[in-house]
This record gives sequence, structure tokens and C-alpha cells, in this order.
Amino acid sequence: MTDTPGQITLQRWDKHFQQLQRAGVPQPSYCGPLSRHVENGDTRLLKLRYDNSAAALRLWNFLLTEEDRLHKARGDGKKLVGTMKDLGTIPVMAYSFDNLVAFYPDGAWWIPCVMELNSSLLSIADKLGIDESFCPVRAMLGAFLTGAHFPIPELLVCSVGATCDDFSAIAQRLNGLGYAILWWEIPHRRTPEADEPAVKLPGGFSAAKSQVEFVKSELARIKTALEDLAGEHLDEKKLSAGIKKANQVRSLLAELRKIVFTAPLCPLPALEMLIAEMLAIHFCSDQKETIAVLQALLEEVKTRAKAGAGFLSVDAARIFWVNPVADLQVMNLLEECGGRICGTDYLFTHALDIIPQDLPPLEALSQMALADPMVGSSADRASRISADIKSFGAEALIISRIPGASHCALEGRVIGEIVRDKLGIPVVEIEVPPLTDSIQPTLRTRLEALVETVRERRKK
Amino acid sequence: MICAGIDAGSRTIKIVLMEADTLQVVAKGLTDQGVEQDKLTQKLFQRLLKSKGVKRKNVTRIVATGYGRNAVSIADTTITEITCHAVGVRHLVPNAVTIIDIGGEDSKLIHLDKSGKVRDFAMNDRCAAGTGRFLEVVARRLGVDIGSLGELAAKSRRPVPISSMCVVFAETEIIGLLASGTQREDIIAGVQAAIAARISALAGRNIDNPVVFTGGVALVSGMDTALQSALGHGVTISPDPQMTGALGAAILASNQLDEAGS
Amino acid sequence: MKAIVYSCPYIPAEWIAAHGLRPSRTMPGTVGATGPLAIVEGLCPYVHSFINEVMAEKAACGVIVTTLCDQMRRAFDVLTRRCDLPAFLVNVPHTWQTIAAQKMYVDELKRLGQFLIRLGGKPPSDQTLAEVMFAYDSARKSILEARSNLSARQYAETIAAFNRDGPSNMPNKKLSTQPINTGIPLAIIGGPMVKQDLDIFDIVEQSGGLIVLDATETGERGMCATFDRRGLRDEPLMELSRAYFGSIPDASRRPNSELYNWLKQKLADRAVRGIIFRRYLWCDTWHAELGRLKDWANLPVLDIDVGGDSRTHQVRTPNRIHAFLEMLQ
Repeated sequence: MTDTPGQITLQRWDKHFQQLQRAGVPQPSYCGPLSRHVENGDTRLLKLRYDNSAAALRLWNFLLTEEDRLHKARGDGKKLVGTMKDLGTIPVMAYSFDNLVAFYPDGAWWIPCVMELNSSLLSIADKLGIDESFCPVRAMLGAFLTGAHFPIPELLVCSVGATCDDFSAIAQRLNGLGYAILWWEIPHRRTPEADEPAVKLPGGFSAAKSQVEFVKSELARIKTALEDLAGEHLDEKKLSAGIKKANQVRSLLAELRKIVFTAPLCPLPALEMLIAEMLAIHFCSDQKETIAVLQALLEEVKTRAKAGAGFLSVDAARIFWVNPVADLQVMNLLEECGGRICGTDYLFTHALDIIPQDLPPLEALSQMALADPMVGSSADRASRISADIKSFGAEALIISRIPGASHCALEGRVIGEIVRDKLGIPVVEIEVPPLTDSIQPTLRTRLEALVETVRERRKK
Repeated sequence: MICAGIDAGSRTIKIVLMEADTLQVVAKGLTDQGVEQDKLTQKLFQRLLKSKGVKRKNVTRIVATGYGRNAVSIADTTITEITCHAVGVRHLVPNAVTIIDIGGEDSKLIHLDKSGKVRDFAMNDRCAAGTGRFLEVVARRLGVDIGSLGELAAKSRRPVPISSMCVVFAETEIIGLLASGTQREDIIAGVQAAIAARISALAGRNIDNPVVFTGGVALVSGMDTALQSALGHGVTISPDPQMTGALGAAILASNQLDEAGS
Repeated sequence: MKAIVYSCPYIPAEWIAAHGLRPSRTMPGTVGATGPLAIVEGLCPYVHSFINEVMAEKAACGVIVTTLCDQMRRAFDVLTRRCDLPAFLVNVPHTWQTIAAQKMYVDELKRLGQFLIRLGGKPPSDQTLAEVMFAYDSARKSILEARSNLSARQYAETIAAFNRDGPSNMPNKKLSTQPINTGIPLAIIGGPMVKQDLDIFDIVEQSGGLIVLDATETGERGMCATFDRRGLRDEPLMELSRAYFGSIPDASRRPNSELYNWLKQKLADRAVRGIIFRRYLWCDTWHAELGRLKDWANLPVLDIDVGGDSRTHQVRTPNRIHAFLEMLQ
């Protein structure tokens, strides 16, 4: 465990890194001072606050070197699969192959934040007619056209159907620019009819068996495409092994989340938890290393929790956070305002649940895909959120709107209503654009007001 | 014979009197818009006639343009400001191919073909964020004259990104930025960049040179630089940018006379 | 007879009618009007109007919503929470090329049938369905044939009336024998229109243009293909699926290449010289097509973004159309 858990600046991290090196703390080859990423243009890193553990440094370096890893994988002869929108399903299949690497081009949505709009990705999207009325994931278009970030994958796979309009439209624009996409349908998960066979999905929702069968047929189609790309057959044994590996990541995350969200004193900051959770969806292009990174993080967190060590005030307001933030700095801001994250739904809670291993693997993956809260009704999503709020003991809910995201216009209202009715806790909606510097006072007011409300309610 | 072009815009009324045969400008002027637009127009018109000793009967054709064009009672016909600005700019900059017009309340992008005819156009007349109104809001908030914005912006080392799509909320952002100690220069430069980004989105991928910048906002220094940066193309400010609509209307009035004559 | 209200072109009116209920494909009067649901940033004005219209609906016994767009999908959540009218969500696949997607559509129609039965409808025999389909098909044919005899607005209104009331209200005689205005031939492309938008046809004509192709969702583009008589006789439900799901092109499909194939043919057939692209503010599905259409069409494209404010309808839209026609002239 690091001496005293705390948050430090990037400049202090560079000094801290030298100390770690001198102390002989082993770090993987991709690790190094974070400032080297700033030199490459990731200037936002200068404004963030970081957990001061070696495990957190490893996590950050792992995240920030993903592009290098992808280029190296290409150089090593591996085939790249750009899997879009499904957030957690296709990579499980892709990583079951020996020579495929899957990643989410959607992740480009953070580039404008991390590079503080200096990457020109958004202006490229503007010129294509995809302006700021669309979600920041439009940055993906610029990333494809410039080729300046991730290597262009050999295969692009995109889920459509019960998905948000703006992503679907952006992907179609990409397709219209000449990038071939293998589209697959994820149907809206509905309540099974009274007379139709139903299936209980991981995470608690139910779906009609016919819907599971449909998704299975779609995943089978993708499996064939992956097999053609890899030049390798994916039998049930291999896919089961892939699921087992994915579950290893999910188990680590489940344990991490439980400890971090329920410990009396917060042992890991919200920003590192956000990054850690993101590893679930495509393992940051290296599944094996993801496991190692999470193990290290979990060990640190366990040690801190056992020692009663943490870094926020013991009376920090326990907040459940819905939707990922386009500006990473907001996670720091919440803690500055006196809040701590005790529960999350970053649009991919299905990627955090354990994939059933007692079912044929494609069936298991299909159930997993359908268990995505975004694929069903907002009411369903709200019910899962409510259950998680109870389980983690959160005292308030923040719904973070993503500017331009089609689901945010109506969904937040429904989720807020249901959570208020069910749990009687305060709910606040905020909107977080890629850079929040200029609206910090507004955001700060809302977050501080929420924390004050929570503290007042404790007195009653 | 004299022709007149009247541009009844949202902020100002501009009039150009022109010799129909030679297209020489005889007189021009502008006045602020108001509730009684027609009265204001006629007053300005009479003032210009008087200033050059031109009799009303010698003004043989009047074309009105701009948002308020249908309420100009003395106009013989109306033509939209897209066409008029295109004609006016092309008259002043004969090789202009792309025209950016940013006014007080709207902005337009006009593409011309080789012969100078309008080939395509796009407008933002819904949202103040890509217009001069945004600059007015900033100037007011910062307590500076709108004419000095460019000079201040030139001193900026780090333009601050403005997040809001809406000028109302952007004003709140600006207050917040000031409170947090952000330099005025950086705010102004950020606002100029935001306006330019809107124009870039309007422009899409197809911009041909030369690009000419017109409209009242072209008079605000620094905006041309911001546009250049956003578009990735050189930008030339049109001569007499506030008057290009009225100028174009007057030229079109002259053309109509020619057509009637022939 | 109380109506089943819907707006999506992929809901076959014939299917509802064959169940003995009255299908009514709604066209809201306007966008931006106040109602039980307040407008919020990011909410498509059309979806907002649709929700408010349904919530104010007194003459219907049910509403059908589809997954054609995510905003409509979320609208269903709001309706089920706030509206007493029985509501049903049909999952219309966005992919269309696979047998599985086509089968899903048919299965959804069958599931819709169950909903209609719960509302008092009766399961139709193949013969009943075929008869209803034949009646609708004949009515659609006569509308399409009458296009050249109707003004653009009349044509759009006729289609809207047919969508709302079905073939029962079709006049027996020829729809019109009036000579049609000439003007610069234009296409109007986009999602669903509202009644107020029909003024666009008049504004275009007053400015010297003529809309010869209504490729909006509520226009010609949203009409299903003609039924194949043999299919109608042998497997009417499959034929219904083919004519609707298999034939109506839309921006929401993935890929949406058929839309461009359809447009290519129609634009050429009708010698269109300019395109009016009409979209709603916050409609990502159509907004994203603007840039592509401009690159693809080789024709001037006028963007009309509708936000539901009166200034758009009264000032901006007419101004843009005037300028567009000036340019084309």
C-alpha cells in the first residue's frame, strides 16, 4: 500500500514515479511518467487529480498506452476488430481467438477531452455535418479519417436496433464514407408475453426466449465473420474459455466495486474507478494485462479498506452516478464538492455481470447482450439502478446527461421519477460536455447543493 | 437613372443609391432598425436623396432585401439577401467563390459557381451562437467596446473553449470564467473560435477559394483570423461589408431595368 | 369505431383493419405546442408532439409506437407511465437484409395482432386479410396515379387522408382534373411532416418551384409497395411484410443504402433540380444524412431545420425557400 491514500497532481506523480523506480517497485514496460502523455498532446492530464498508488499509476499508463498496443498488435500480425456500441459482448468472442484484438472506436469520445479540443476531431465531424447537436462520440469520425489515433481495424462490427440514434447515425455516416460495417441487430428487450417462454437474464431482467434466440443468431453471424477474419474456427470449448477469461475480469471488478462503494472510508477515487470499470468492455486491448492491472488495484484497495485508510471525509455524500462523463475532471469535482461514488451505471452494467458458464456459450453471450439496461425500457434501467442504490447504500442519484445523446432527453426524467418514488432520495440531472472548465461554477453549485441536501437529510 | 437597393436587416437598414448605367454608387447610408421599419426606411431614403440632390422620380427601380424586405413599401420588388449578398460581394471581389456573411442575428454561407451565381447556401438563423449577437453579449459582459474585441483577442495565449450551444447559457459560462480569473482575452478568443466553429459546421467539407467575409461582424477585428483557423482556408474581408446586401440589391435593380428595357 | 393511432410507416394499416379495428396514422397538427409533456432540450419536436397528441387523444382505443428511432422508443416509456391509452411497442428491425430480421418483423406483426385482439379485434383469416389488402392497394394505386393531376399539396393531403382514414373515404371519381402548376421541380426529403408543414408546398409554388417528389415519411416514400397478386392470394401476411418492411426505404435502416437507391431512381425519373431537406432539431437520424446527401446528390440541397417555434414556420422557412428558388432560377 502507498503511504497515505491521497490524490496528487500529474507533476507530483512524475516525482512519485521516480521514487517508485528507486524503491524497485516493479512496473510493466508500458509504464512511465504520465507527463510523457502530456507531451503527446493529452494536456487534460495536467488538470486531473490521481490516486497516489502504484496500482493506479499502472492503470493510467495502461489506459493511455492503448493506441500503442493496437499499433503493436497490427505490427505483430494480429487482426483488429473495431466493435461498436454493444459495450461488452463482441470483445468476449473476439478475445477467444488467438490472433484477434478488439477495441471500441467509440472510446474516441474522450479524445477531445483528454486533448482539450486540440485534436481537431470535432471540427472534422462538424465538416461532415455531424455537429455539436450530436453526442461527443462524433469524435470517432475524425479518428477514422485522420488515422491519427487507433489503427483502422480490418473489421468493423456495430450493433443497431435498441441503440441510441446519434451513435447509429454517426456509424452510418462512417459507412457512407466508405467504411464497411457489419451491422447486427439487438432488439428492444420487452416484457415476455403471458403465453411465451421467458428467460431470466443475468442481472435480473427477463426476456422472451424468442428474443434470446434471435440475438443468438446474430452473434452466430458475427462469429462467422470473426472466424473468417482470424482464419480460425471458434468452437464451443474456445468460446467457453473466452467467457471464463472475461468472467475473471468481471469478478475482479465486482469485488472492487463492492469494496470501494461500501467501505466506510472511500479507498479509491471516482476517476480511477471509472477507468477501471471501462476495462470491462474490451479489456483495453489486452485481456491478460487487464486482469493483472485489476488484481493490483484490488490488492491496494483491500489493503486500504482493511487498514481503514481512505482519502475522503468519512461523511462524504454517497452518490450513485448514472452515465459516463465526457469530461473526466468532473469525477474529481464531485469529490471536491464532498461527494463519493457509491454505485454506477455507465451504460454497460451488463458487462459487469458474470456471464453464465452453465449454458452453451453463445446462448450465454446472447443473454448477456440482452441484459444490457440500455436495450430495454428506461423503467427497467431505473429498476436496476434502484436495486444497486439499495445494495451500495447510496444516498442520492446523479444523472449525467451526455450532450446530444438521444436517450438522455427523456430517459433521465423517467429514471429520476422512479428512483424518487421508490427510494425517496434526491436526484439531480447535470449535463457534462467534453470540457467543463467554463461551466464549473454551475456544476459545482449543483453538486455542492446535492451534498448539502444529503447531509441535511442525515440529520432527520 | 438611379437604382436603389434597400437591405432591411434585423439590426440595421442599409440603402445604396446607384447609377443604373455605370453601377457607380451615388450615395449609401444606414440607420438602426426599429418598430416602424417602413418609416425609418423612408426617412433614410429621403435623407440620401437630399444629400446628393437626387429627385425621387429619378429613382426608377427599388429592390428590397433582408428579413424585413416585405415591409418596405417603396420597393418595386424583393429579392432574398442570399442572392443580394452574392451579387454585392462579387461586384466588389470579382473572383469570390465562397461568401461568409455574419450579421447581428444570423449567419450564412454562400457558394458561387464560376459565373458568380449562387450554387448552394446554408443558413443559421435560428441560433444566436454563430452570430454577432454572441460578440455583443461578450462585449457587454466584459465591459468593452465591440470594436476592441479583436485587439484583445489577439493578446490571447489560450482561448478558452465555450461549451454551451446557447448564447444565454454561454453568458453564464462567461460570468463563471471571469469569476475564476480567466483572462478577458482568452474568453474573447474562445467566443470568436466558437462562432467560427459554427460557420465551419455550416460550410461542411466543400469550401473553395477565395473565401470572402462580409456582414457587420466582418468589421470586428480578429473574426477573420478565427474563421481562417476554423476553416483551414484564407479569408478576405469584403470591402464595405455592411453594405454588400444593399449593394447587391441595387445592382439587381439595375439588371431588372436592363431586362425590362431589352 | 374507435381508432388505433400510430405514426410509423412500417405499421401496416391493413393488418389493423383486418382485425376489425380502425387504423389511423396520425399527423400532428404542429410542433412546439404546449401540452402535458414539456419540451426539453434534446427532445425531438415531432416525438414531443406525438406524445402530446396521443395523451390528448379521446377517440382512440390504443396506440402503437415503434422502435424506428430511439427517441420514439423512449416515448413509449413516457406513454406507458403517463397515458391510460393502451400502448404497444413494435420492434421494427433496423437491419433488413437478413432472414432473421425479416422473420422478426413478421413475428412482431403477429404479436401486434395479439394486442389488437385484446382491444377487441378478431384474428383475421387469410382471405379477410387479402381482401383488406386488396382494397388498400387499389386505393394507393389510384392516389399514385392521380399524382400528376393534383397539386403537390393536394397530393400530400390525399396521402395523409388515406393514412388517417384508409380507403373508405376515397372519392369514387377521379381525384381531380385540374391542370397542375409548373415550376422548378423539387424533391422534399425527410422524416414525418406535421399538418402545418404542408404550407411548404404552397410556399414553394409561390416562389416558382414545384414539389414533384415527396420523399418524406408521410409522403410517397412512406407508402408501401404494390402487392403482388399471387403473394396476396397465397400468403397475405408474408406479402404484407414484403411490401412494408421489404420496400419502404428509410434513413434509420442499417445500412440505409436502399434509401439512396430509391432516391437515385426517383430523382432521375422526376427530373428533380433541387432538394429541400426537412428535418427536426434533435433528430439525429436525419440530421446525419444532410452532409451525405449534399455529397451524394449532385443537386443543390436546402436544409430546413424545424424546432417548433413560430418564427421558423412564419419567417425562416419561407425565407430559405425563396432564396433557394431564386438561386435555382
